[in-house]
Amino acid sequence: MARRVEQKAAARERIAAQLAAQQQAERRRRLLFAVGAVVLVLVIVGGLVTIRLVGGGKKTATGPSGAADSGLVTALSSIPDSTFAAVGSADVKAAPSAITAPALTAGGKPKVLYIGAEFCPYCAAERWPVTVALSRFGTFSNLGTTHSASEDVFPNTATLSFHGATYTSQYLAFTGVETTTNEMVGNGYKPLDTPTAEDQKTFDTYNKPPYVESDGSIPFIDLGGKFVNSGATYSPEVLAGKTQTQIADALKDPSSPIAKAVLSSANVYTAAICKLTNNQPAKVCSTDTVTAAAAKLGSAKG
Amino acid sequence: MASTAQQSARTSLGVIPWATLAVSVAGLAVAAYLTYEHFTAGSTLACPDTGVVNCAKVTSSQYSKLFGIPVALLGLAFFVGMTALSVPPMWRTASPWPGRLRLAGVLTGVVFVCYLIWAELFQINAICLWCTVVHALTLVLFALVIVRLALVPPAS
Repeated sequence: MARRVEQKAAARERIAAQLAAQQQAERRRRLLFAVGAVVLVLVIVGGLVTIRLVGGGKKTATGPSGAADSGLVTALSSIPDSTFAAVGSADVKAAPSAITAPALTAGGKPKVLYIGAEFCPYCAAERWPVTVALSRFGTFSNLGTTHSASEDVFPNTATLSFHGATYTSQYLAFTGVETTTNEMVGNGYKPLDTPTAEDQKTFDTYNKPPYVESDGSIPFIDLGGKFVNSGATYSPEVLAGKTQTQIADALKDPSSPIAKAVLSSANVYTAAICKLTNNQPAKVCSTDTVTAAAAKLGSAKG
Repeated sequence: MASTAQQSARTSLGVIPWATLAVSVAGLAVAAYLTYEHFTAGSTLACPDTGVVNCAKVTSSQYSKLFGIPVALLGLAFFVGMTALSVPPMWRTASPWPGRLRLAGVLTGVVFVCYLIWAELFQINAICLWCTVVHALTLVLFALVIVRLALVPPAS
């Protein structure tokens, strides 16, 4: 009887020991799996870093400006009035402000002066509405394409370049100055265009308060000495990841965020330019869209 | 006897749950800061803005949003959830759901962190210091949750 009890106790102990060993093994297996998962994640992250360090990063174009193809220039100069009208100017975030200054002219015509730089992301954004608006009054040739610096905010924003471009119009003159490229040299960017002494004086005189909000920002745009704008009228973020062709295509669709940003700003620039050209040409300046956009122009400063 | 066991369970949470709570709260603070910076255009972001370490370049890139939602806000939501799931009552509860949600949370977090690291290294070509802190905290959270799960299975 006592022996049977002892045997039962021994069996119970054996089973308990087996159970404990099983639980221990199970726990070890689970822990191994957990540690394995953590190591796997660390290997993936480490792998990404290693691949990047050995040169697997995205190669971004940082070369000099190229020429805009005729399709791009045509797309920007042939936006239908109906598209401008559909976008309107209700959503425009910022607009040129009126100033009291001597008329800015060239060759007897009112002059639009743009001073920016190819590295600058806000210039990258602003060239689109400026080009679209000016294309309603004249023709660009040798317009370039470039992108903002990859080292700056809103990196590699696709845009146009006024470097080397010429503009012909019976209504107005245009000077576009790109002071640097998007290529870094030392702590700055490679110099490109140098403004004339007269343009530099205009920049120094009117690109500061009270005419504009901050001192010396680019892009700076003086519209005939009647309106000035400094900085971008919309966020370059809208253009993120898009090529010039994609941006031009998006301008055809008035419901696209790009068209809303670029064309509403272009409408306001058009309204400002119409003030310089005595509302010529009438087919541009007498539209309801441009008339409404004129109300967005900032009140007189300085 | 049952009361003693219950009391013992109440006092013996162990190190990992408390560490998980601490890491979640730290992540919550950094994510809140990044969210604030996102909605104030990053004007006070304490981070270099030139070279490889460039927070503004990362936080203003196209990868700073997912389906139109700021990534900083998604990070904040993640750490709010993880903090809520890491308070002591959530570890002590008999329900398996807090544990499942914690696991789902850290798995999602780790996948998202890998995606963001890829975007920083290969698409944006810049590193955001504060984002890296958030990434590191998420990886630590993942390790803590998964090791705790191995040591104390939900059924036990």
